[in-house]
Amino acid sequence: MRHPLAWFLWTVAAATTALILRNPLYLTLLLLAVWANYAAVEQSTAQAKSWRALLRVGALIWALTIPFNALMLHQGEITLFRLPSHWPLIGGKVTLEAVAVGFASGYSLWALLGVFAVFNLAVDASQLLRYTPKFLEQAGVIIAIALTFIPQMIVSLQEIREAQRIRGHRFRRWRDQLPLVMPLLTTALERAIQLAESMEARGFGAEGGDRQGRPMWAQWLIAPGLGLLLSGLVLRALAPAPAYRFIALLLAGAGLIAYAFGRLGHRARRSRYRRSAWRPQDTLGACVSGLVLSGVIALRWVRGGSLGYYPFAPGALLPPFEPGIGLLIALLSLPGLILLIAEIRASGAPSGGAV
Amino acid sequence: MILFDRVTYRYPGVEAPILQDVSLAIREGEFVLVVGASGAGKSTLLRCLNGLVPHFYGGTLQGTVRVAGRDPVQAGPAAMSRLVGFVFQNPEAQFVVDTVEAELAFAMENHGLPQAAMRKRIEEVLDQLGIAHLRERRISTLSGGEKQRVAIAAVLTLQPQVLVLDEPTSQLDPQAAEEVLTALQKLNADLGLTVILSEHRLERVIQYADRLIYLPGAGRAPLQGAPQEVLEQIDLVPPLVQLGKALGWRPLPLTIKEARRLAEGLSLQAPPLPAAPPPVGEVEIAIEDLWYAYDGRPALRGVNLEIHRGECVALMGRNGSGKTTLLKHLVGLLQPGRGRVVVRGMDTRRVDMEALIRLVGYVPQNPDALLFADRVRDELAFTRANHGIADASRDEALLELLGLAAYADDYPRDLSVGERQRVALASVLVARPEIILLDEPTRGADYLQKRALARYLAAEREQGHTVILSTHDVELAAALADRVVILGDGQVVVDGPTREVMTHSLVFSTQVGRLFRDSRFLTVDDVLKGLV
Repeated sequence: MRHPLAWFLWTVAAATTALILRNPLYLTLLLLAVWANYAAVEQSTAQAKSWRALLRVGALIWALTIPFNALMLHQGEITLFRLPSHWPLIGGKVTLEAVAVGFASGYSLWALLGVFAVFNLAVDASQLLRYTPKFLEQAGVIIAIALTFIPQMIVSLQEIREAQRIRGHRFRRWRDQLPLVMPLLTTALERAIQLAESMEARGFGAEGGDRQGRPMWAQWLIAPGLGLLLSGLVLRALAPAPAYRFIALLLAGAGLIAYAFGRLGHRARRSRYRRSAWRPQDTLGACVSGLVLSGVIALRWVRGGSLGYYPFAPGALLPPFEPGIGLLIALLSLPGLILLIAEIRASGAPSGGAV
Repeated sequence: MILFDRVTYRYPGVEAPILQDVSLAIREGEFVLVVGASGAGKSTLLRCLNGLVPHFYGGTLQGTVRVAGRDPVQAGPAAMSRLVGFVFQNPEAQFVVDTVEAELAFAMENHGLPQAAMRKRIEEVLDQLGIAHLRERRISTLSGGEKQRVAIAAVLTLQPQVLVLDEPTSQLDPQAAEEVLTALQKLNADLGLTVILSEHRLERVIQYADRLIYLPGAGRAPLQGAPQEVLEQIDLVPPLVQLGKALGWRPLPLTIKEARRLAEGLSLQAPPLPAAPPPVGEVEIAIEDLWYAYDGRPALRGVNLEIHRGECVALMGRNGSGKTTLLKHLVGLLQPGRGRVVVRGMDTRRVDMEALIRLVGYVPQNPDALLFADRVRDELAFTRANHGIADASRDEALLELLGLAAYADDYPRDLSVGERQRVALASVLVARPEIILLDEPTRGADYLQKRALARYLAAEREQGHTVILSTHDVELAAALADRVVILGDGQVVVDGPTREVMTHSLVFSTQVGRLFRDSRFLTVDDVLKGLV
């Protein structure tokens, strides 16, 4: 599977599954499926290195959620030990069920991080950019640049830290971070200005040379759209209004913004260079992702309990397992397996030579 | 093609104009070189050609600029991008996307070109610049020269009539610079593209130029004309021209070939060089079987070196050959993967970096990594405070020596690249290290600044300090180093006395060295002393 849209669909399916699942057995299967894809797409690039580091941090966070849950949740039948009850927050019994909940929730977050690592390593941001709707083209470029900025900033951070250390500076207290933070911010700003200058010099925002092409009324329409969205969210948060009121406000706001962008995009004269070719393996990957996504959502709707995990019920410490659901989740490994098989075939093929 | 009529420009908030009453005309198909001291207004002049000045920078511009009949001030840079292709100093700072082909398409997509036209133009520029094999590569995996050629290709896809380049080879090694300049010459000669380029290292590019524009700075009128004509009147000249001026050669030679003809009748005499004496002084740095890899990619492979106290050693080699990695080992920023590095008896794996930096001062390639204070003098004070040095009496003298006294109260980030480099140098040297490590110290520096730096480092060496510099600048290495170590692919390829190494090298040799092919004559001074 190579096509960015196919990978996008896989990411939606895998991320939704990670968000819905709490059952550790299914999560283990999901993690194995994600790992199969990660192994297939991982490269020896700086970006891959950054993601490896981030996954290690994710594992650490997961490891921390276990004692956090164990100490904060005092429900369950199987008591491991007790802490003095007068200790604030953590005082009371520490149960195996609470440990299991911590294990499952951290597991889900780690799987989600893995899904995004696969997506970022499999898909070049600039490729995906070609599929953003026309009215979001400029926002898409900005996001693509922001994504490429992150690894650059990590490199700058390392450079600055080294440079200040060799001047004899020691980073001990938070105040000592100033010689690190200031050059980092200035470097980021200067780099952004240089890039903006380069983009301007290459016609970004030229709109076919017509700077006056954007209708002002459409630009003004964005403001009331945002206002409606905000009102909907505030109403939802503060007032016990019926659901249809804030939903109506949200829909009206989103509609207004979409219409404004649509009008603005209509005038944009940006064209698009070559798009990636869609191959049979992309169709297979997309179908599998669609199947898993619809299957998981349907299961959540119809039999929510079968995907969740609630160890506090009597006899529920061991999570249930249904082979059909397990198979459905395992299907997410297919794109990675296809890539790995293709790679093995390619490496086994005779190289060069006259035929 | 291009006309400047009494152009005066002031940056916002600055009283003195950077350009004053500049009038010039450039014909279609010319290859024009813009030269001048750091801060003389070269980049500003170039940015007037596509409207980045004043559109992007603000400020006030008076007078008239016309490019192919259009007014960049009125049209703005985005509209001018179809007429003027602009390539910046740092190729990495101008890439928007991560793959070569997508980067080439970016400008055309902005202008809404049809897909078929885009494909045709991309094929053309890939061939013109000889980078068809890079088409699907990620930009982050390209070498410096390849990146700069991709940056040029990315602006050529719009088929501009004028190509403007702001110091395009300043960050490249000699071979990569040659690749870029050859490509430019081909575009100029074959397609008739007007090329306007600013550059400090004139020896690299002067032979391609039809015309020279010299900006003296401080609001004075530019000099312009044929290269020999202008070079006759200015001090910022490459060594070959400097020699030609000293010996009264006319016309002034721009290439080794021209100089060889003029040097035919020259009678030089100098005593044969004695065999290189063994280095004196204690071993200051010992590197034994040093290996290092970044994520499994080898950067150093079994390096063995001994450097003695008071020696000046130049590390040379292509970008990525391992020079910076080696320097970082000497100050403890990197630890050997295998082997060991001993600095004045201290094994870098076993001592704290704090102990090493009391002895070793390292000035990194990128000065911006160091600079954060509000004033130049505060940068020096920060280093002194870290080292527990209260005495500030040396600060002024150091700033004076490095030509920074006038900028002592300026914000360091507002200075030019060459000036920032010297502020970084002063910020490290103020701690009086006995071993000085410099990574590309002459990047962005003009000839006069380079000479000042060479004088300063020579004085440090005379005081018994050890100097190790990683550089592409053969002229600096020839003027300063006792010894040259050439690295290639993480290994020491050549290690020997400077004169011996440079005389036998085709690439790592000075202009004068290539002219005479005699180890006694590497610099202009050598020749002048040897005149009969």
